[in-house]
Amino acid sequence: MKKNGVNMIKISAKNVDVFYGKKQALFNINLEIEENQVTALIGPSGCGKSTFLRCLNRMNDVIDICNVQGEIVINDFNINDKGCDVVRLREKIGMVFQKPNPFPKTLYENISYGPTIHGMAQSKQEMDEIVETSLKKAALWEEVKDRLHEPGTGLSGGQQQRLCIARAISVQPEVILMDEPCSALDPIATAQIEELIDELKKEHTIIIVTHSMAQAARVSQNTGFFHLGELIEHGSTDKIFKNPENNKTQDYITGRFG
Amino acid sequence: MSEATHTVKSYEEELQSLNKNIIKMGVSCEEALGKAIIAITTRDSENAETVIKNDEKIDKFETLIEQQVVNLIALRQPMAIDLRETVTALKISSDLERIGDLAKNISKRTLLLNENLPKNLVEALVRVSTNVQKQLKSVLDAYLDRSSSMAVNVWENDEQIDELTNLCMQEVIKYLKEHESNLDDGTHLLFVTKNIERIGDHTTNIAEQIYYLVEGEYLEGDRPKGTEPIVTGEK
Repeated sequence: MKKNGVNMIKISAKNVDVFYGKKQALFNINLEIEENQVTALIGPSGCGKSTFLRCLNRMNDVIDICNVQGEIVINDFNINDKGCDVVRLREKIGMVFQKPNPFPKTLYENISYGPTIHGMAQSKQEMDEIVETSLKKAALWEEVKDRLHEPGTGLSGGQQQRLCIARAISVQPEVILMDEPCSALDPIATAQIEELIDELKKEHTIIIVTHSMAQAARVSQNTGFFHLGELIEHGSTDKIFKNPENNKTQDYITGRFG
Repeated sequence: MSEATHTVKSYEEELQSLNKNIIKMGVSCEEALGKAIIAITTRDSENAETVIKNDEKIDKFETLIEQQVVNLIALRQPMAIDLRETVTALKISSDLERIGDLAKNISKRTLLLNENLPKNLVEALVRVSTNVQKQLKSVLDAYLDRSSSMAVNVWENDEQIDELTNLCMQEVIKYLKEHESNLDDGTHLLFVTKNIERIGDHTTNIAEQIYYLVEGEYLEGDRPKGTEPIVTGEK
């Protein structure tokens, strides 16, 4: 969505600190994520980019020793507030992981699970529609329409990942978080996911963590570079890859790191 | 280039080799221009022939640099400063190649010129060419030092070359009008003057590339321009 030619801010992280026990993993992160854009988070292993991603749908809650401080404002609401309904939050903010992780159920059930628990369909027909639309949006429908009642785990890796994306979008999330969604896929499956990301950004805001510089450059409009728990630089992807402000960013993306 | 070196050594070496080839090619062009100017001002055919012969060497540099750039893009996918190094190398090499061609063309014309050129014409030519040679040297230094301020200096000085070119052209036109028998030499000298000015323009292009290489931004503003079509007396 644009207002006066400027993209609206969908998510705003303010002074976010994260601790695992006594160890601090993120230091005072301030980052604004633009709506209907793809934001790539890059940085070396252990830099905190996945930790930050998990802050955005309170996934860190499941780690006992993890303590998140600061504000993460989505739609004018701080999701770190006590009153935040985490189940509703995760309906609005979907997630796709590094390894495709379909449920050990049929393709149909993989997609219908979310809409069922969120009560999004009133009839079998409505559910059928949700399943079909989700699979179509994930560019998987044509390949699987005749085998919807076979197990999801029987698909190829790339298809499984698209199934997971279909599952994520079935509940119509506003934001989709992707943690290295292509690292287990071959180049063709990767290209299909990247094409999909491009399509999905029309209706969703996407944040992707990736180790592939080339992928970040290809799919995103904005890029944030994390290093040792700090957000070193954040800006338009073409600026970051053509002329970054910070030397650390430059050294990292050009392969000169330490 | 960045101060830190690449984790992958062969990548670092490839970028350095590209850089060195640009400098070598630049030095070859500097030599070609120097010799071409000596040849025309001192009526020295030997130097002119060397320039003509050596142009092939400059052309080969261009091909080599182009291959290196294509390889870097295909195999290394350079980013940020490396990307700018790679892209500007390609553009600078094509400007240098043109400079080589123009020096060669000056030399070919030198061989066709009469032995005795009027002193004032030679002096006018020397004034333009000395300036252009300085510019070319400065732009190569700017590349070597990765200095955007030196590049800006070169860019700004182009205006002066354009003015000197105009003055030189006027002298040549005067000479042409003096006598019909001056037609051949005068025409060659017009082209020579124009060639020298074009070398100045390519030097300015290189300055713009160096600015982009160092700053990551394009040099803003109108290019300094002194040249208006020459008007000479009667119409």
